[in-house]
Formats: sequence, structure tokens, C-alpha cells
Amino acid sequence: MRKLIFTFLLLLGVGFSGTYAQCNHEALLKDALTQMGDGQYIKDFIVDLKNEKGGGPSGTVKYSVILNSRSQYKFNVVNGAGNSEKVHMQLFDGDKLLVSNKAQGKMYSAFGFVCRSTKVYSLVFSFPEGSEGCARAVLSLQRQFAAGEGGF
Amino acid sequence: MIRNLIFALLILTGAGFLSSCAGNSEKENAEQEDELALPDSLTGEAPLKLSEEIIGDVIQNISSPVEMANLIKSTGVDFSQQILNNPENISNYSTSFKRALNLGVFSADLGYINSYDKSNIVVSYLLAVKNLSDGIRVGQFFDFESLKRMATNSSNLDSLMQMSVSSFNQMDAYLRQQNRSNVSALVITGAWVEGLYIASNVIEKTNDEELINRLGEQKEIVDILYIILRNYEQNSSFKLLIDHLSDLKALYKQVKITKEVGEPKTIEEDGMLIIVQAEVSHVEISSETLGTIIEKIKEIRADVIE
Repeated sequence: MRKLIFTFLLLLGVGFSGTYAQCNHEALLKDALTQMGDGQYIKDFIVDLKNEKGGGPSGTVKYSVILNSRSQYKFNVVNGAGNSEKVHMQLFDGDKLLVSNKAQGKMYSAFGFVCRSTKVYSLVFSFPEGSEGCARAVLSLQRQFAAGEGGF
Repeated sequence: MIRNLIFALLILTGAGFLSSCAGNSEKENAEQEDELALPDSLTGEAPLKLSEEIIGDVIQNISSPVEMANLIKSTGVDFSQQILNNPENISNYSTSFKRALNLGVFSADLGYINSYDKSNIVVSYLLAVKNLSDGIRVGQFFDFESLKRMATNSSNLDSLMQMSVSSFNQMDAYLRQQNRSNVSALVITGAWVEGLYIASNVIEKTNDEELINRLGEQKEIVDILYIILRNYEQNSSFKLLIDHLSDLKALYKQVKITKEVGEPKTIEEDGMLIIVQAEVSHVEISSETLGTIIEKIKEIRADVIE
């Protein structure tokens, strides 16, 4: 009898730990907006990456963003509570990596980008080692530069 | 005891399966209902040339009313309600095509109004947005009562701006998920045209260099919008809009954008990494070209809001 209860509880525990926990994206968005700071909200991005069937890596998710010149943007990201790893957030210009939230072995929860060329950029999210996880990122406008300011 | 345990386990497992199945079924029913209820002028005809995924990838953030509105306000020009679309015009928009376009127009107007903190008129524009969004069956994204409450509370205007923009973003994502990217494209086009129209008005008053540069930089965006809208050229409602964009594209050929490439700079500020982009774009636009582009923008906008 005790063995049966123990087995049942064990199975339940294994079941939960192996299951990808549903992410509370509303709560994540609220946190991300708080951490956005004083900038003007432009857009938010949902990251929800699951392992492929058979345990394959979780892959990446990419968003296109138009960024305007003479503008400083902030990209900040909040990780889901159940993540085993922190999300990797990268900004690309085509194939060229411009900035990443992982630098010199340190993970940042945000990065800023002073844009000097209006075009479509790519924002890419992934998890280390292809692990699963969820996150929410926010893009905000921090400032716009007038002529003569900030090297413009 | 053992039997009770096994019975409880079976119930829990069964309940889990039933709820997920019911969720999927509800989602399927909602999708079917949405597809069947597709509005008049926006029903699908010929297959798309570009996949929904590509369109979605490209138009995700074509035009942010926040940025243009901020730039306009930074010129120091006074707010002018006269240049905005009149909320009373919504009675003229009887087709889904017009409703979607002008939903975009009013979103840009709202961005402009919010950036100037004009809470006294924001409610009428929110009502227009609500009305038009209901008309194309995306009204669920606009919590009018909450937005109205924020609008009447001057200490909540930042939240109003954030919630308005967020509502539009969610609506846009929903439309693309529902394979209604044609509607999304129209909303975005309407917002983009209105943003440029407001900017053009301010340029004519101030000759502000930053705004002129921003207008010139829209050269790439015009190309993108043109490609996207052409995707729906089988739908006769889109024809005039596509022709307008084609004319505007031709005028933008006179705008020269050169890029200067260098090395990026990295700084750390308040624990955050900031990259200063090395590539710098320079816009060259003659006053004559500027004039013709502004006239064309006005012409397009007049057709959009009539």
C-alpha cells in the first residue's frame, strides 16, 4: 500500500518536472514594462520555445523591427520563472550581429541601441544548449537626437 | 483504498484530456466563425504571392505612431486638431476596406494626440477606434472603458499610450494569426500614411530638418508597403491604393540615401550595454522633390479618409 502511494507520488512528480510549464505571459509583460523604465513603449515580443519531439533543440524565434535613425532604443527582457537558462537576445542587421545581451560571459537583462540607419532589423531569441523556456521582451524609445546631439 | 487512488488518478488524467480537447475545439469553432464572418470587401480571392509568414515578418512594425508623434512634438510646433481625421467621418466608412484603413489613420491620430497630452479630445478618437475595430471584428482588443478611464485621468496618460499601442500590436498579431494579413496591411498602411501626412503638415510650417530626413528615409518603407499591398492586387478595392503607392515610389526615386560604414561603439551605462551603430545613413532630398512627395502624400491621404 505504501509502495503504491509512493509510486503514484513519484510518477506525479516526474510528470510535472518533465512537462513544459505554461508561461504566465501577462505577468512577464507586466514585469518587462516595469523594467522598461522611462522610455516610450513601442512593442513587446513573446518568446515561447519548446523542445522538438524526441528532445531536439528548441530553436530560435525571430522578429523584424523597423528602427529609425537618430534614435536610441532599449530592448529589455524578462525570463519565465520556470526557465532553466536565461534567454539570449540578439539584434541583427541582416546577417551581421549588432548587439547581444550576452557579453564577456555576462547576461544582461537589457541592451540599448543608438540607431543611425533606418531599416528593418531582426531581433532573435534563443536559449542556451537549445533548452526550453519563455520570456517577454519590450522595445522602447529612449530618446531621439536632434542635429548636433550624440554625434549626429 | 487502492481502488480509490487509481480512480482519482484516472479522473485527473481524464479531466486534463477533456479540457485540452475542449480548448482546441473552442479555438477551432472561433476560427471557423471568424473565417465565415469575413467582411465584404476583404474576402480572399486568388492565392497570395507571398506567404502569410513572410508578410507578417515584414510588416510587424512598419509604422510606430509613437516615434513619429514624438519627433513631431520635438519640433516645438503647436498641436493642431484640424489636421487630424474627424471622428465623425466614421459614418462614411461602410466597407471593411475603408474601416481597416481608417483604423490605422485614427491610431496615428491617437499617437499624436497622446504625445501632446490632449486628454480632452482623446475619448472621441478612442470611440472612433472602437467603432471601426468592431466593424472589422477586432474590437475585443480595445478595452474602451479602461482606455476612457485612463484618458480622463491626466496622471494616467503614459499608461493610456502604452495600452493603446499594445492593443494595436495585439490586434495586428491576431489578424496575422487568423490569416487576415490583408486587414493588417491596410491598418498599417493607414497609420503610415497618416503619420506622414501629419509630418508633412509640420514640415510645411517649420521646415524641420529632422522631419525632412525622416520623410526621406521612408523610401525603403514605401518599397516594402508596395510589395505587400501588391500581394492583394486581385482584390479590386486595393487597386487605387496600389497605384498611389506606385506613384509615390516613383517620386522617392529622386531621394538619395547613402550609407557610411564604420565601427560600432559599445558603452556600458547603468549596468546596461549600449551599442552606437557605426553605419550612418545620409538623406539627400531636394526641396522640389520634397514638395512633390508631400503633395502626393496629401492626395493619398485625401482618398484614404474620404
